[in-house]
Amino acid sequence: MKNWKMIFVVSLLVLSQILAACAPAATPTQAPEPAATEAPAEPTAIPTATTPPEPVDIVLWAQATVTEASAPPDDWVAYQIIRDELNINLTYAIIPTGADGEAKLNAAAAANDLPDLFQIVSASNDSRGALLRIVDLGLVAPVEELMPLMPERTNLHYNDPLAIDLVTFNGHQYGFPEPPPIPKREGLVIRKDWLDKLGLAVPTTPEELLAVAVAFTEQDPDGNGQNDTYGLGGFLNQQGLGTRFDFIMGAYGVPGVWNFADPANFGLNVRSEQFPEALAFFKSLVDAKVIDPDWPTLTRDDFRARWKQGSYGIMWEDFAALTNKSNYEPFDTNFPDGEWIPVASPKGPNGDAYYGVYTGRGQIFAVSQTAADAGKGEAIAKLLEWMATDGYYLLGFGEEGKNFIIDANGNISTEGLDPLEAYTAPERQPFTQMRNQLIFYNSEQEIAARYPDYKTLNGRDMLPMTFLSFFQNEPWVDGRGIQVILPPANAADFDRFYTEGLIKFVLGQEELNDDTWAAYLAGLDALGAADYEAAAKQALTDAGLLK
Amino acid sequence: MTVKILPSIAPSTEKFTFKKLLRSMWRQRWLYFLMAPTLIYFLVFKYGPLWNAQIAFKDFKPLLGVMGSPWVGFKHFETFINSFYFADLMTNTIIFSVAKLLLGLPIAVICAIALHETWFLRFRTFVQTMIYLPHFLSWVIMFGVLLVILSPGNGLLNAIIERFGGEPIPFLTSPDHFRWVVILSDIWKETGWSTILYLAALLAISPDLYEAAAVDGATPLQRIWYISLPGILPVIVLVTLLRMGHILEAGFNQIFVLYSVPVYSVGDILDTWVYRQGVLQFQFSLATAVGFFKGAIGLGLILISNRIAKRLAQQSIY
Amino acid sequence: MLHTKTRDAVIFQIGLASFLTLILLIILVPFWRVIVTAFIPLDIYTREGVPFFLSPTRWSFEAFKQLLGHSMFPRAAWNSVVITLLGTAISVILTVPLAYGLSTRNLPGRKLIMTLVLFTYLFSPGLIPVYLLITGMELTNNYLAIILPPAVSVYNTLVMMSFFEGLPEELKDAARIDGANELQVLLHIILPLSRPILLTIGLFYAVFFWNEFFTPILYLNDNDLLPLPVLLRNILISASFNEYVEYDAFSSSSLESLKAAGVLITMIPMLLIYPWIQRYFTKGTLVGGVKE
Repeated sequence: MKNWKMIFVVSLLVLSQILAACAPAATPTQAPEPAATEAPAEPTAIPTATTPPEPVDIVLWAQATVTEASAPPDDWVAYQIIRDELNINLTYAIIPTGADGEAKLNAAAAANDLPDLFQIVSASNDSRGALLRIVDLGLVAPVEELMPLMPERTNLHYNDPLAIDLVTFNGHQYGFPEPPPIPKREGLVIRKDWLDKLGLAVPTTPEELLAVAVAFTEQDPDGNGQNDTYGLGGFLNQQGLGTRFDFIMGAYGVPGVWNFADPANFGLNVRSEQFPEALAFFKSLVDAKVIDPDWPTLTRDDFRARWKQGSYGIMWEDFAALTNKSNYEPFDTNFPDGEWIPVASPKGPNGDAYYGVYTGRGQIFAVSQTAADAGKGEAIAKLLEWMATDGYYLLGFGEEGKNFIIDANGNISTEGLDPLEAYTAPERQPFTQMRNQLIFYNSEQEIAARYPDYKTLNGRDMLPMTFLSFFQNEPWVDGRGIQVILPPANAADFDRFYTEGLIKFVLGQEELNDDTWAAYLAGLDALGAADYEAAAKQALTDAGLLK
Repeated sequence: MTVKILPSIAPSTEKFTFKKLLRSMWRQRWLYFLMAPTLIYFLVFKYGPLWNAQIAFKDFKPLLGVMGSPWVGFKHFETFINSFYFADLMTNTIIFSVAKLLLGLPIAVICAIALHETWFLRFRTFVQTMIYLPHFLSWVIMFGVLLVILSPGNGLLNAIIERFGGEPIPFLTSPDHFRWVVILSDIWKETGWSTILYLAALLAISPDLYEAAAVDGATPLQRIWYISLPGILPVIVLVTLLRMGHILEAGFNQIFVLYSVPVYSVGDILDTWVYRQGVLQFQFSLATAVGFFKGAIGLGLILISNRIAKRLAQQSIY
Repeated sequence: MLHTKTRDAVIFQIGLASFLTLILLIILVPFWRVIVTAFIPLDIYTREGVPFFLSPTRWSFEAFKQLLGHSMFPRAAWNSVVITLLGTAISVILTVPLAYGLSTRNLPGRKLIMTLVLFTYLFSPGLIPVYLLITGMELTNNYLAIILPPAVSVYNTLVMMSFFEGLPEELKDAARIDGANELQVLLHIILPLSRPILLTIGLFYAVFFWNEFFTPILYLNDNDLLPLPVLLRNILISASFNEYVEYDAFSSSSLESLKAAGVLITMIPMLLIYPWIQRYFTKGTLVGGVKE
């Protein structure tokens, strides 16, 4: 017995040593900078680099396009090409999305251990704000001198002067603003089959919307004899009532948090007289019980599961999440006769009609100061340029003739290819992980490849692009200025008060009348609303966004 | 045989000398050697980061490092103590923590005793294995389960309520009910896991005691009251004291998944607030400061509880 | 053990059995729902959500196939095993001596050590300070970064200490009289008698390391090193980001099923280990230890 124990303990120790030694060596990271005695006042310019004889090591952190697929294998042909043609040893690490990715980036920043080229991750989708914070810490290198080194890429990706302005601080450009995902891609849709069954017309005003929603909820539009349908479905996100219900607020002229629609009177939308009216209308929807009562607590995934189960008649959804083949299929299977059509934004009592607020937020990539100091700037520029030119198809789709072909119309297609090798196959996903982050720039060819037309189960044509163009033609508020508005110091408290107050009114936890509304506004002021608005206005004016 | 965490040491009748101390240490040198690796570990991996944690009192700048960043004293503490919702957050945090302890621990002990006492051994093994399973469910999954049970639209519970003529209750979004949802669901999930510990403690009680009791003709309840409970009292007190020390940990993972805006007033705790405030901004120092604050409160509570435990139960950590 | 079948005792047993059955039902009923969710075919799920009872003939293994058949699953599972074994071994080896030392009543400096240990329990430094230490030691992308910071849990140490305290001093004295030093006393007398607590604490550590998901994300950059919880989470996130990924979605089962199946898969090793450990949880481990 005693021998057995000793042997067990000793072998555990030995095993642990072996296993620890077997753990792969740390990826080459920069050694932390020796503590400087003061923060640098002017950012150090990138030293002119001569081509080094040895390959330059570049570490790239970016999110994955398909999180469940792995990173490309070590023997990926692109790594080889990059080494041979560009003299760069690329290490590509995938970072998570959302709060976890932001925590990882924060931690690396705190340790002054940021990688050479990295993507800014922000759980609240405020990449510019996150970038500014690490710029202030002196951890990011200015990159305006790199732009001329990548003419093609600048032409395709960085051709929006506003986007460049937004990442320029103190006269220096600090990031590469990748093109945002297709703009204005969300919109209002309604179940046409339910309208037909109940003999109703598409609603055009908030009142009509309420009437239709009531009918959908109470008159069993799917004809299954059960009381399981709701007129409206949605969920909460971000501030206030969120973007999913902005079309309602927009009918009263107050979509979103900030009043971008009326620059002369710029401020928080809650100051407008129409806001309590909009709120009262929303409350009437809640009181009529036409919204799925779980709406304040649902997540986006729950919400999507529910419309696929046929619970909702009217909803706000992303065009691809609704109409793209793989997303539509579960719904189609259960409701082959189910049909969604896009709806124009309802017109409120004062004639206002806004679909929503377009923020234009995209992804930003940055170069760490340590990389710049090590003279890697030119190599990074070369890499990015290659990704936009020779490497475009390779990193975006694969090898021509093997993973994709270009057909007679110039569109990308997989006809005639081995299904396992097609770029759409799960096996190929690891090889195109960078496409949404660094490669695609919303070209027509890309969009046609991503959102092809198809036929539904009962033979109907489904054309995602028609939904998209419908949505894009609706009246959106240009809210891109929101990117320059920095959150106040007490952001958590302010946001909670703002959102919680509105929700309380809407849910009836607090009665909505002139006095309570005035008290709500006073509460916001007590938390610094006036200063927040003034600072926002100043930032917008400085950026030339307030016309 | 009484079992104690720490018996009171009778005052020594011999004079204390340094020489005696050294001799005592030498006699027990093996113990020091054994503990040495662990103590070194503590120094490096527990106290090392605590040294870095001084950034709670500094305006941390990565380029300047921990040592080079400037002192700001209690500024971060003031920021969050003076924040608008501080009182709310503290109230919610403490209510959740205390309620989970006061309700959860007795239930776990009762289950452990019940399992220990039952004659049906196969049944006991089966129940034992089943009741700790919920511990492995993530709160994300639990949210789905709770939504099905508690949803006002088509939840099971509300269906029953409606059958009896009542109005459906939105349990998850109602400030009047949310706290109970949190507390009861946590108890459901974690009680089974806690019984493992108490069961192990019960098994350590010498069966001689039980046999002696049987000879004396004790009823089962008497057996439990006079043998089982005192036997596991040290563990119960220890667990309670330790949980007092972490009183401000109210279960971030659970609350983060279950809460939503309508119940912020009763559901928002320190950790969720820090999450929103800290993740939104690169507030390295704030999160660390909150950690210190929690520690300070926990320390105070543990000292108080320790004294109470000493008086009531003759058990203590010190 | 003699079960004297007095009337009282029998009534008591019946009461116990009913109580335990009630507890079992309360636990199992919602849990059953999770199991059904894992097996529900996509068409039934989208039609009516998760029904309470699903005939086993209609059970679909799609969610499990998707997770277990994922190309990275074997690698991730193996990584989890390595982290768990390594972590548990290191943690237990470090915890036992400290717990034993603290349980020795007359050890000089015991109070001091106890204070130092308790202090770290109360004051937890948080994410950034630990990260700074790990990067300073150049341990990024190494399993030790995940294992070492949480390796010794003060809670577990004190619980173990409490158990050691409960062992009769006579045993140790008997061994010492026979000429054993402290190390031998620990190894030959104390540890064999402490099986229940050693296994329990080992189980606690094992479960902790098996479920670790945030620190791997934070410290590991190599995809090959990621453990199972991270992979499962990536699969779930992937299934929900489907407006930006336009190709044929990976998921042919619903998101809910994937979540449930993921949890069950993670649970299975723990399910197997505990009953195996239970064999060692015998009553009265002190029987025959000391001749009175």
